Amino acid sequence: MDSLTAREPELAARLAPQATLPLDALRLRSLQAIGILCGLAAGVWLGAAEAPTKLVTLGLSPVVVSLAMVVGVFLARWSLPALLQGTSHVGADLRQAPHLIVWAVLAGCLWAVANTLTIFAVRDVGLSIAFPLWNSNSLLGILWGIVLFSELRGADWRRWFGVLGGALLMFAGATALAIASSAQAAPRDAVRGVIAALTAGVLWGTMYIPYRKAYLTGMSPLSFITFFTVGELVMMSAIAVTFSGGVTPLWRELAGAREVLFWLLLGGFVWVIGDLFQQYAVKYAGITRGIPLSNTNQLWGMLWGILVFGELRGGSEGLYLKVIGGSLVMALGACVIALSSVRGSEHVRWQQAAAREGERYRVDPAYTRASMAGREMHATTSRRTWLDWLLVGVATATLIGFAAVARAPAIAVRWEWAAALVLVMLIALASCGVALWRTTRFN
Amino acid sequence: MTDDSQRRWYVRVLRDVQFWVPVVVLLGGLLVLRWIH
Repeated sequence: MDSLTAREPELAARLAPQATLPLDALRLRSLQAIGILCGLAAGVWLGAAEAPTKLVTLGLSPVVVSLAMVVGVFLARWSLPALLQGTSHVGADLRQAPHLIVWAVLAGCLWAVANTLTIFAVRDVGLSIAFPLWNSNSLLGILWGIVLFSELRGADWRRWFGVLGGALLMFAGATALAIASSAQAAPRDAVRGVIAALTAGVLWGTMYIPYRKAYLTGMSPLSFITFFTVGELVMMSAIAVTFSGGVTPLWRELAGAREVLFWLLLGGFVWVIGDLFQQYAVKYAGITRGIPLSNTNQLWGMLWGILVFGELRGGSEGLYLKVIGGSLVMALGACVIALSSVRGSEHVRWQQAAAREGERYRVDPAYTRASMAGREMHATTSRRTWLDWLLVGVATATLIGFAAVARAPAIAVRWEWAAALVLVMLIALASCGVALWRTTRFN
Repeated sequence: MTDDSQRRWYVRVLRDVQFWVPVVVLLGGLLVLRWIH
């Protein structure tokens, strides 16, 4: 990693003067607002995406649950970019920064392992407890943002205090929930579940290194996720085959679970929409702000767990206090971090970090600069090709096929609460999607 | 982008210290997963 202060004069001399020109204040504010809005929308959608992991309580193997979700993710990640921008945009990004394929595939591998661990965690300590524990990933993300990408450098003491104080609040909330977990589950299961959830947090926290690297360099989130999903599917398939004892036993398990596979595919699809918002949040608000905000998914996950699936029913008053209190403290920490928005002096350091990345990998500085401002290097009109429509068609047909053989899972669900939460998701999607399109054209 | 840099981007990835951080974390995660399973 680079020591910015030591290398700054040398760096400034080598960079093109326009590489670190401060962004127009109005534009910076609007990109920050978009980043924050995307973080909040990501929270709503990512929280809902974890709901299908409850199917593990039906006796489905965690790796089967995770593999089916990854297939849903794969379908969404190839079809959504094709629908929104067209695959020609992905090709253009690839030509500018081919090295990011490796980073995207690596991030996908991290995601697949983390997601499988979360399913073990849900099985052992429940959704309400496991969720905030793996959301400790934001603490690690903040660390990587500061150490590797110059985030918070050049920020005043209030912003440092806001981000670090918020991180400590989140840690305190997570600790309260970990203590509550030991009261709810058998000790062996609780330890295993807590370790699984915390390890998932470390993997996801580290996954933000590739994310930030890609967005500092200039890649569009829609392009990044296209390659990300290849790593995800390959890693998840390898884990599933290994843990199931071979291809044939895995196939048997999948065939046996075909009536609920649709819900898992749908969970993967929902996760992709949340993750897309999260990636735009990282791009425009940075890791230090974007990730804690998207981690408000913990609250939405808790709402799904308690309102829709009736978790914690019959628990003691003390347990409720620990779980709800811990969650609220974590959410408060996230809010404090979110309010510590980026100012011009810090944004210049982001630009310097971006210029360093560009220089390291020989990326066109104009491409990086345009992306930092939420614009395209060359204005192009998005035309869909037959390939784009083919991708969208195959993904849609696959989902319809699985929906045709699907049955409602035999677990207690309060559908009226599920409908209310889905309505909130749609409102978040529409409002944030429109704002993102108007400001950045999804770049 | 020049032909030379297109050929050598993978070398730059391998020489980037930041690349090895997620690689090590991934291997650690796989070990924990194996233990839990």
